[in-house]
Amino acid sequence: MTSLILSPSEQDFITRGVEKGFRADGRGSLDRREVTLRTNMISQANGSARCRIGHLGLGTDVLVGIKAEVNTWTPGEPESLGSIVCNVECSPSAAQEFEGRGAEDLNVELTQTLDRMFNGPQSGIDMAKLCIIPKQAYWVLHVDALVLDVKGGIVDALVWATRAALLSTKLPRVVVESIADEDGNLQSEFDVVDDAEDQVAIEGVENLPLSVTFNQIGKRFVIDASEQEEAVTQASLTVAVSPQLEICAVQKGGFLRGFPPSLLSEIMQTARRVARDEFAKFKELYETAASNQMGDEPSTGSTFLGAF
Amino acid sequence: MSGAVNDRRRINGPARSVEPIYTATVLDSVAKGRSDGRGLDHMRPIYAKAGPISDAQTTASASGSAFYEQGSIRISCAVYGPRSARKPNARRAHFVCDFQYAPFACSKRSPTQSTDEHETSLWLSNTVGPAIRLEMYPKSSIDAYVTVIESDGKMATLAATINCISLALADAGIEMYDTVAACSMGLRDSQWIVDCTHQENAECSVLVAYMPSVDEVTGVLQTGKTTLEVHEQGVQLCTNVCVRVYAVICRALQASVE
Repeated sequence: MTSLILSPSEQDFITRGVEKGFRADGRGSLDRREVTLRTNMISQANGSARCRIGHLGLGTDVLVGIKAEVNTWTPGEPESLGSIVCNVECSPSAAQEFEGRGAEDLNVELTQTLDRMFNGPQSGIDMAKLCIIPKQAYWVLHVDALVLDVKGGIVDALVWATRAALLSTKLPRVVVESIADEDGNLQSEFDVVDDAEDQVAIEGVENLPLSVTFNQIGKRFVIDASEQEEAVTQASLTVAVSPQLEICAVQKGGFLRGFPPSLLSEIMQTARRVARDEFAKFKELYETAASNQMGDEPSTGSTFLGAF
Repeated sequence: MSGAVNDRRRINGPARSVEPIYTATVLDSVAKGRSDGRGLDHMRPIYAKAGPISDAQTTASASGSAFYEQGSIRISCAVYGPRSARKPNARRAHFVCDFQYAPFACSKRSPTQSTDEHETSLWLSNTVGPAIRLEMYPKSSIDAYVTVIESDGKMATLAATINCISLALADAGIEMYDTVAACSMGLRDSQWIVDCTHQENAECSVLVAYMPSVDEVTGVLQTGKTTLEVHEQGVQLCTNVCVRVYAVICRALQASVE
């Protein structure tokens, strides 16, 4: 991530603190920083969400927009499934080294991580329902994530924001007409209903996973590492858990060391336990965010940036 | 198939060509046995050779190399290093993997590099990196160039790649804690099967890269959804098979020295 330079004594301080269960900001090793969530701020997108982990000014800030497009089927693609295409971009405003092609490696890594979690049946979304007409047309959900600020724990922020954005996504309703022609073949055509009130949610979004990233520092691990803790991390493990507490994706990062299998097992158990609480917290935050949209707040400027 | 990509580096074929569509073979249930007659916990036969590109007979300048076959997966790796790095003040060696599929390696032809390959390169550095004593080579870079000549099963190819890189690094004489052995498993009919081919399309796969002497898992990758208990069972089985793969890699290294 961002190349934070820590002195050896600072690294030692963080490492030994974590091994004794202390963290620089007073959190427990399994505590996440405060999460702020807002949804549906981008009117041009079918769904959107902004998630900040950490308090204002010192947090990881991610903005995700979902755009649904209709794609024409070409031979070789699955015949009756829709598709989800993820794309993550780190904005140069987040860190100086993201300027130009500096963030390319990070973008690719984060894109593939999101793709592994969300593109496919493991995300819980009913991909078959995203198909409009088999062998003819299907919905493509473009998940475009923009990372506005990086202060540690970026994968989790991305997943939280993506889940919120997909939950808030409304697809236009599609009307399919099928007529049998002379040979008895079924010719189908579809129409997209252009009514802002007549929109449907994506099937299966309640099953989307949340991720928990464990960073190993010294002999112990922490959740939701801050920037300083990430600089001292030797290895990390990202686990995506579904609301039914199934494991959707596991990915190990960090090139300095591996995990002993016993620690790996412990982390997986902890992931499931932590995920249970995280889903409850997410539900609360999402419902607050969803209800806030109906108010008399102005839709530009101050709510987007200031009050967030 | 890649007609949309503006590829100026080569003389391109027709823009709208697609590969032929084969009628899908319906796979029997796991209980009826695997199509190539293997047991559920049998890997495909491995052939590994260290040093085909760096022998005295060839003129290549690779410090180490390896050729690895696992069933019909064929991978070649060359390691260059330690050589001077662009960043002169690094305390550790800069280890980079460059992963590439040959255009004819997969069932779909792909002449240009995809993000998939880029991410796999980064992931490989994270998986094989823990095995190398990077602090022994300050201000240097160690580069591993991997070419997948033939691929058969995505996770299985990744596992084979890790084995190949480990072999090549050892052949290059780079100081390591241990060679990394990897293997993958697929979940079909609620049973874990080792080393799935492309045809044995599993809905959920697990890959584990393990260093037996140090007892450390350097890489875990799971795609697909499963419960925690099934996942743990898969990781445990995978780790056991990794130990067997490790023995094969070590034997190949011994053979290269004799």
